[in-house]
Amino acid sequence: MELIPVLIIMIPIFASMIVYLTDTKYSNNVVFVAQGTLSILAVKYFIEFEGLKEKHLLNLGNWNEVVSIVLRNDKISMLFIFLTILIWWMILIYIWDTKKRDSKFIFLLIFLEGVFLGLLQTNDLFTMFVFIEITTILSSILILYKMDGESVRAGLYYLLFNSVGMMFYLLGMAFIYYSEGTLNIDILTAKINIYQGLNLTNLSYISIMAAVGVKSAFFPVYNWLPKAHSAAPSSISALLSGLLVKSGLYVFIRINSMYGLETFREFFIILGIFTAISGAIFAVSQKDLKQILAFSTISQIGIIMIGLNQLEGETLGGIMHIINHGIFKTLLFLSGGAVVSLYKKRDVTKIRGLLKNYPLLSIFMIVGILSITGMPLFNGYVSKSIIKYGVYSKTLEYLMYFIDILTLTYFIKLSQIFFGEKNINLKNHKLGIYKKIPLYLLSLACIIFGNFYIPIYSLFTEASIKYINLFNISEWLLFGLKAAVAYFLYRIIVKKDYNFIKFLRRTNISFSSTNFLFILFITIMIIWKL
Amino acid sequence: MNPILSFIIMLIGIYGIVTSENIIKSIICFSIIETALILLFLNLGNGNHGDIPIILEGVKNMVDPLPQALMITTIVIGASTTALALMISIKIFHYYGTLEWDELLEREG
Repeated sequence: MELIPVLIIMIPIFASMIVYLTDTKYSNNVVFVAQGTLSILAVKYFIEFEGLKEKHLLNLGNWNEVVSIVLRNDKISMLFIFLTILIWWMILIYIWDTKKRDSKFIFLLIFLEGVFLGLLQTNDLFTMFVFIEITTILSSILILYKMDGESVRAGLYYLLFNSVGMMFYLLGMAFIYYSEGTLNIDILTAKINIYQGLNLTNLSYISIMAAVGVKSAFFPVYNWLPKAHSAAPSSISALLSGLLVKSGLYVFIRINSMYGLETFREFFIILGIFTAISGAIFAVSQKDLKQILAFSTISQIGIIMIGLNQLEGETLGGIMHIINHGIFKTLLFLSGGAVVSLYKKRDVTKIRGLLKNYPLLSIFMIVGILSITGMPLFNGYVSKSIIKYGVYSKTLEYLMYFIDILTLTYFIKLSQIFFGEKNINLKNHKLGIYKKIPLYLLSLACIIFGNFYIPIYSLFTEASIKYINLFNISEWLLFGLKAAVAYFLYRIIVKKDYNFIKFLRRTNISFSSTNFLFILFITIMIIWKL
Repeated sequence: MNPILSFIIMLIGIYGIVTSENIIKSIICFSIIETALILLFLNLGNGNHGDIPIILEGVKNMVDPLPQALMITTIVIGASTTALALMISIKIFHYYGTLEWDELLEREG
């Protein structure tokens, strides 16, 4: 059972090949067998190595470590592996009643799972590059799967911009290989010595981080994300938001712990604030349901960035927010996709009466909204409190409150779809059981992660989180106050739909300008280092 | 070959990708950047101006074979990315009748 990490990568890939090559009615069910085996193997691996208190290395082919491919697992990667398997289960069940005959779609989806699991376990920079590139190619095919005009355009934009970004990863890799002579992350961690000033090591850090910035949608270069999300099928948007954007953040965690640079911590916190606030402002201006959720992802990535760069390298808040965001954003996108497919429109000012037409679906969506806005008893609250506890300046704390208020504002805008009268035309449309199961399980996960966080978090961390008190009256009052301010903001500014909001909604920049912003981003990082 | 040359080629590619208004030109510029990086990487392995990395009689001073192994993978990835991008641009031309980024942006609505 030494080879479980390899099996975790290969089982989904083999299952996808079987689905694609046989292409019969029954063989598509192979993916469930594969998913089941995968879940059992992951749990077995976690138990066998006693919760992976120490990292487990698997050297493929027993070559010298400097040049060989090594798979590495620790607590963080295990946490991501569990999240990946969970979200793929949900998406598979969600698409099953409509896409069960579509072997090509299932092939791409399951292949992507194997590649993503590989990305989480790799221990050298080049294998990481290969896995990231395959992820980009596969997910762009999934984005343009509908093959209509909008999705094809968004798919090309996603593919080209992410590939250009990854070229800078290659450049950084060339620098680091030239100065250190290896690409193995463990050896590099021990070997890298950061000197002052600008040298090859720092330049490699900057260009790798620029690539990671494109992949995980940081402040000036997140243009591809809303396009891709609104064009993709809703199950794929859920996957993109819930996990694929996180591949960049995972690489960020790994690379940051490899270099151990202190200089850039403040830079990334400032970048996180910009990402969070600008994403939230754009989300407030949008009318399209999926666009609101897409910009909300950007805003949450900003919060995660603040959480990942806290004092003394403490990243617990950020990592847990990645997990929690993965769960509730998948829930929101899947339920939002269900709403869109039932009403056949995406404008939140036109959809009305969801609560009376589809009470169950509304409850799932409300659970998601309460989680993302950080209400106590739901999972978003826990990780947001850890992040707030870790910030070290008063200004930053007030900015976090401001971001919370903006988040509440655009979700109040979105929640207008619940109100209104019952719509008779919709009587014939029913939500299938396959669509209900994942929504139910994900909302349950939101509540479980929000209430029983101490036993769950203690599996993956030793840090004490006793300071979180769910029944602290002041926290509830604070949430109520923030909601009141947000409602006020919604009534006096957002609902009137002033011209500047229309202007923000129409703001759009071309591919070459996006690339210009990307070069600017790299330049700012170099200037910061000087 | 001098690494400076690779950097010059890369800068040409970056200039192209920042200024070009056409999808095909963007794809070409992406390929130029990639080629420059492949050259740079191969150049790093050839620091000692040695022989081919094949164990034969008389071959003593080998070049570092690792960059070559890595770059052949990168070439494959680059080829597939370019192929996919070109395929999608054919589809875009079918739907919109244009390959200019600006005109596509105007139709976004």
